Formats: sequence, C-alpha cells, structure tokens
Amino acid sequence: MGESLVLAAEHPERVAGLVLIAPPVPVAGREEPPYSFDDVLDTEEGWAKENRHYWLRDWPGYLEHFFSECFTEPHSTKPIEDAVGWGLETDAETILAGFRGWDTKELDAEATVALSARIRCPVLVIHGTEDALVEPERGIALARELDAPVTLLEGSGHGPHVRDPVRVNLMLRDFAGLSPEPRKWTRAKSRRKRALYVSSPIGLGHAQRDVAIAMELRKLVPDLEIDWLAQHPVTAVLEAEGERVHPLSAELANESGHIESESAEHDLHCFQAWRRMDEILLANFMVFHDVVSEEHYDLWIGDEAWELDYYLHENPEEKRAAYVWLTDFVGWLPMPDGGEREAFLTADYNAEMIEHIARFPRVRDRALFVGNPEDVVPDSFGPELPAIRDWTEQHYDFAGYVTGFEPVADRERLRVELGYAPGELVCIVTVGGSGVGADLLRRVIAAFPEARELVPELRMIVVAGPRIDPASLSAEDGLEVRAYVHNLYRHLGACDLAVVQGGLTTAMELAANRRPFLYFPLRHHFEQNFHVLHRLERYGAGRAMDFETATPTVIARAIAEEIGREVDYLPVETDGAAKAAARIAELL
Amino acid sequence: MTTAEALGTRPEQTRARYPDEEGYVERDGVRVFWERYGEGEPTILFLPTWSIVHSRIWKLQIPYFARHFQALAFDPRGNGRSDRPADAESYAEHEFAADALAVLDATGTERAAIVSLSLGAQRALLLAAEHPERVAGAVFIGPSLSLGDLHSDREAVLAFDQELATNEGWAKYNRHYWLRDYTGFLEFFFSQCFTEPHATKQIEDAVGWGLETSPQTLILTETAPGLRTREETLAVCGRVRCPVLVLHGDEDAIRPHAHGAELAELTGGTLVTLEGSGHIPLARDPVKVNLLIREFVESLERRAA
Repeated sequence: MGESLVLAAEHPERVAGLVLIAPPVPVAGREEPPYSFDDVLDTEEGWAKENRHYWLRDWPGYLEHFFSECFTEPHSTKPIEDAVGWGLETDAETILAGFRGWDTKELDAEATVALSARIRCPVLVIHGTEDALVEPERGIALARELDAPVTLLEGSGHGPHVRDPVRVNLMLRDFAGLSPEPRKWTRAKSRRKRALYVSSPIGLGHAQRDVAIAMELRKLVPDLEIDWLAQHPVTAVLEAEGERVHPLSAELANESGHIESESAEHDLHCFQAWRRMDEILLANFMVFHDVVSEEHYDLWIGDEAWELDYYLHENPEEKRAAYVWLTDFVGWLPMPDGGEREAFLTADYNAEMIEHIARFPRVRDRALFVGNPEDVVPDSFGPELPAIRDWTEQHYDFAGYVTGFEPVADRERLRVELGYAPGELVCIVTVGGSGVGADLLRRVIAAFPEARELVPELRMIVVAGPRIDPASLSAEDGLEVRAYVHNLYRHLGACDLAVVQGGLTTAMELAANRRPFLYFPLRHHFEQNFHVLHRLERYGAGRAMDFETATPTVIARAIAEEIGREVDYLPVETDGAAKAAARIAELL
Repeated sequence: MTTAEALGTRPEQTRARYPDEEGYVERDGVRVFWERYGEGEPTILFLPTWSIVHSRIWKLQIPYFARHFQALAFDPRGNGRSDRPADAESYAEHEFAADALAVLDATGTERAAIVSLSLGAQRALLLAAEHPERVAGAVFIGPSLSLGDLHSDREAVLAFDQELATNEGWAKYNRHYWLRDYTGFLEFFFSQCFTEPHATKQIEDAVGWGLETSPQTLILTETAPGLRTREETLAVCGRVRCPVLVLHGDEDAIRPHAHGAELAELTGGTLVTLEGSGHIPLARDPVKVNLLIREFVESLERRAA
C-alpha cells in the first residue's frame, strides 16, 4: 500500500489513477498490537498468533487465523480456502525475511502525509466498515490527506474485491472511466417484448427443456423475442433450433471444460467442482451484467444459472427485469466420505441460499421446480436448517417434469425404421456427450460375452460419443461400437434396454418412454447419487447400479434380468413445459 | 377545443424549485433575464433554444441539477422576461452566444458545461469553438444545424417568404401563415416536436410559451444571421475541442437523426440514439436525459481531476 503511494508520488507520468482498498497506511493512530511480535509468548490464542515464533511453529495455523480475520463476512469458506492455499505456496521463513515487524514499516504517519501531498492523480479509497485488520478510520483519514473520495462498504471485511466482486468491479470500472458508453436507449413504449434466457451448459438436458419452455412461452406471448446467453454445448442445440444466441455469449468463460477437468474415472465431485468454479461464475455474471446494461429485457430466465441467481442476491440493486429461476434439485448434499468438513460446507452454502431468499424475496419473481413435490429429497439442508422438502414447497412452484419431447407413439414401427431385426433384443450403451464415461463403457463391454450367453438374442450397440475415441474401446466379437448415432434419442425410445450414467435427463427420457435401463451414478456426484436416485425410485424407473461393485458378471446378470421387461413406471407428465411457460408468462 | 384555447391565460404552474438568484444582463440596450439555481460544482448552463419558447423548456432538468450542481438558464431574446428587439440583427447567433458569456460573467462562473436543444446547437458551437476556456463540455439535444436536407415532407414546402396555396402540414412553416394563424402554427409545430404518443402536457406547455412571444418576433429570428451553410457549420465544428455528447431521437420529425450523428462524428463526440424519441426528449423522457447529462458532466469532472 505504501508502495503504491510512492509510485504515484514519484512517477506521476506512469500512474493515471490510484485505487486503495483497505489501506493500512499509518495516518490515523493505530492501536498498539496486543502481543509482541518478537517475544516468545505463553499463549497462541487469537492475535497472539501474530508472532515470529508461532509463524515458524505453525504457519498454516497462522494463515487460517489471519484469513478468517480478513474475511469476516459469513459464508466465506471459499475465499479463506483460496487465500490459505496461496499462503502455503510460501513459508514463514520467506515472509520473515522481508518483515521487520508491523511497527517498523518505513512509512510512518508523517512520511505518509508528506507523500500524500505530492500525489496529483485521481484517487479512490474503498474500505469495509467491518474490516478487522485495518480500521476503516485509517482509510478515511488517508482519503482526507489525499483529498479523495472514500467509499465505505458497510458490512465488508478486509477483502471486498473477493467477497463482493460485482460491486468492487463496477466501482473500479467507473473510476477508470471504462463504463461502456451508452450508444442507444429505447423509450419504454417503443420497446419490443424481450426475454433473456440463461441456460446452464452443464449437461444437455437443460438445453432441451429450455427450448421446450421457450416454444410454449411463445404460444402464450406471440410477440416475445428471446435471446439466449449460453455456451457450448447448449449453443449447438439452440443453433439447430434456429434460436438467437446473444453475441456476447462468445465472451462466456467455459464451464463444461472446467467440469470435465474436475472429473476422474467414473467420478465427478460435483459440489467441489462447482465451488472451484467461483471465478468462472463471477466472470460470466459480469458478461451478463454487460448484456443487460446495454439492452432492455422484460424478463430474465435462468435455468440453473448459478452465477445469475447468486450474484443477484448479493447485488439486488442490479435486478432490473422480472426474473425466473428454474432448477431440478434443491439442496447441496455432502457425500458420506467427505466427512465433517463437507457436511459443514454444504450446510453453509444451503444456509447462505436460504438467507438470500429470506432477505430478498423480491429477487426471484418465480422459482420453478422442474418436477413434483415428491421429487424433492427427504433430507435436511443441514444442522438447524429446515427440511429441504418443506422449504422447497414453501418457496417454489412445481412445473412437473419437462421432457422436451413427445414420447414414442408406435415403437414397432420405429424399430423397423431404425433397422432392428425381428426377435433381436437391442441394448444401447451410452454416456451421452461426456468424456467421463470411458470406464463405464469398458466395464459394460467386458460384460458382453457373459450377457450374450444369458441372452442369445442380444444385440449391443455401444455409443462412444464425441469425446471418446471408439478405437480405444476393445471390440468384442458381435459387439457394435459406434462413434456417433444419429438421433440417439430415437434409439433410446425404441430399444429393449439401455445402460447409462446417472444423469437426470437421459434417465427421465427412458422413464418417459417406459424403457428398462441400468444406470450408474457417477461417484461423488451428489446430484446423481441422491437427487436423481430419489426421483427415479419414486417413478419406479430403472435399476441403480454401483460402479464399485458391478463386476462384468453382475452387469451381465442385470442385463439378462432387465432386457425387454415390461415396466410399471409411474407415467411421466408431458405438460411440464406448458405449465412452466404459463407461470413465466404471467410476468409478461 | 384547441390546445391554445384550453390553456387560456393561466398563471405559471408551481415550480419544483425557484431560483436562488436572478437578474438581467444588458448588452447594446437589450436586456436578457437569467436565473441561477443551486450552489454546487460544476455549473451547467442550459442555453436557450429558438425564441419560440423560453427557459421553462428546461423545467424538468433544473430542479435535479440544482441539487447536485449549479444550474444556470436564461430567457432568449424575443421570449420570456427578456427583451424583444425589433431588428433581425439582434437575433444573430453570435448575439445569443454573447448573452451566454454575459450570464457566465454576471454569475461569476468561470467555466460551465453547456446543454443545448435544437437551434441552441448553433450558439453552443460558437461558444465552444471561440471560448474554449469557458466551456468544459457540450451536450447537444436534437441539434438544428445546416448539415443537409431536412425531412422530405418539409423540404417540399420550404418557402418561408412565399404565399403558398395550401396551409397543410409543413406549408404552415411560412411567414404569411404565422401572421394569419399563429396559434395554428404553434399547435402544428409542437405536434411535430412531440411525435411520441401521450404528449399532451408537453405540447400544451410549449404552445403556451410560444404564445408569450409574437409571430412578428419569430419572423425576425427566422431571418437573423446564423450558421446558414454547411461550410460554415463544418468550420465551426472543426474548432470544437471539448468533450461532446449528442442525444438524438430516431423519430425526430424536426431535425433528422443523421444530423446529430454527423455532429458527433465532426466533434469526436458520443452519440446516444434515443429510439422512439422525437425532437424534445428532455421533456418527454426527462429521466433518461437527466441521467445521461449527469453521467456526461461527471465524466468531465473526472477528466479535469
């Protein structure tokens, strides 16, 4: 902080402006630190950790203490984890080498005042009122010396650019004079009716159901124009449907690539993968903010658009259109092997969400659950938090399931069309577009010879999908391995058995078409292991398989038992898209 | 009942804010009435437009900017509480620019951001080009400049001095018609200014202000010297160095949007197109116009810092 003052004072030609966030410059008197930095202390409590000997003894302990004091805002687990991680990339010895104690910094109050008087560039001071490290009075006093405005962030701690990035980014942008210049403004009465649909790119299921809802919405509001803010692979579906993808979509940071990078062998810890996406989510919210700052929309629809929902609740003044939130699950749930820490984290995220909704009920004009009340898991949000089902019934409308397609009407005819021979039993094995599925495909291929013995009429078609090289899959005699199958959903509607992962969309497609199927939830994927499983059990659809214990023999037997079976699933509703659209149309 | 009849002779409606100071400047025997509102920094000078209206045209801007900055406005020669000299020379554009300087001097204002509407653009350009030290930045709304053809329905009957065989439409923009039926002209003209639906109050206000002057005075303004040619206009634009913001409605029926766009280009300014707006958005869409002006003025402050 002192360094930036020196830079601005001594190199005015290089410094166009100066923003100081929580500056620890000694203008206003600082209270004496409660403990000596250099002496050996007889306690390690609290700020006694700010001590040379403690640092050398327990550097991680010091980091945890220090950063928990930096981020005094509730629900700051991720910023604290990040900062501790970065702190561990150095060590106490290195920091001590450049450190001569807090009170022996080169810049004292007098020097700071002298330096401040020489600064000519525009200055902005930002300071949190709850800053536990540097009292806001010090930022205020420095601003006075610099004759600069100070913006106090009420309730913020020492790192507001991390904990309230939207607000701080907008302030920095305005200070730098980078606000996008308005080129055009349309009178309210001259505006066409427009909606911005933000569709989550994680899994293709959202794209299908969102297009179905958009089509129903247009029936109810014929003059509605819909723009989509979306990325691959959702955009592939949208372009095929002739939908308008907003050009700024190209600026979105890649979410599906991140999710794939977090995956391992039939394993995706989707809660942690989502937490580790915080930077991408904020970047994408700022893209959204740019879009809606320059164009008028009557309505924003976010289908599991986490960045939109989270940051609107964190920055409710940025809401300037009606807003609809859609999801097919409610509640982060810990995986058992995550232990206490994961249980604490999921509860903390749930608590933050519950507080958001309670404090700012006006942010979501509609919250639509894609499903029925019985599809909500019977679990709790966490200790001392409500039951998920009760809370969800109070805070959501239920659209029923949205398939996005019509179930197969004449299966026999479709089988002929797809070239299925009479009497053969067709088993489709697919992992969709995911690159995480090669291990499951190999496991099922290994089961093929045994399955063939049990079911002589078996024809197995393995679909590698766009991200798995079919040549990497061993070819068994009589087995068909294909890179790509056109209109795969029609095969899933016509087959005698499907073997799939635990994703909601594919499983519900099979349930709607009343096909028997085996599904393998990804390890550590709480949504597939709890939420989807609960819903499929309610419909009585499919047989859940455990990747850990499913040997080729187990799989072969399951295939033999399930293939061609008449199913007794609960029927899947077909009016979900229309019901969702009707609730949304009320806002237009 | 016509708008003018509906107006009758009602007293001025209650203002949201009254001036903190008012006075006259006098040059060559012509007295010009000014008002100052607020004490803040910087100063925004709302220039008069064509003398068909007076400084009340800025009534939706002044109370807002007076709270944040200092607002100055003055009545044009020929309307409001300013004199109505009887010769065309007195209504020359450079006289209006000189009045503006006199008002700045009288109020002890070194430098101001200037905001102009329509014909006010000409005096604003003269001020910015010839007195750069007094003008921090300039906002032009629906600028009226000699930059090219007007709308075709207007060009078709562009014969101010001729007796025309018709009174229809823009044929009313005619000396002889003005003298015959001045209120008829005002009602027509302001209906063209406010092409937005539901603008009855704005039209009533403007017709009322128009009735405070006379067709004879307006005829003098029509024949007074100004930036009459494209060449003169380009030359003055080329000398403007301050930041410029142009607001222009794309449904402006008085002055083509293309002229505003060209002004922005010529002065290196920013154009904001107001979709669906007519000639006087400051009255019909005051919130947006106020916010755009404020944002512009604040950007001048930052530049100055």
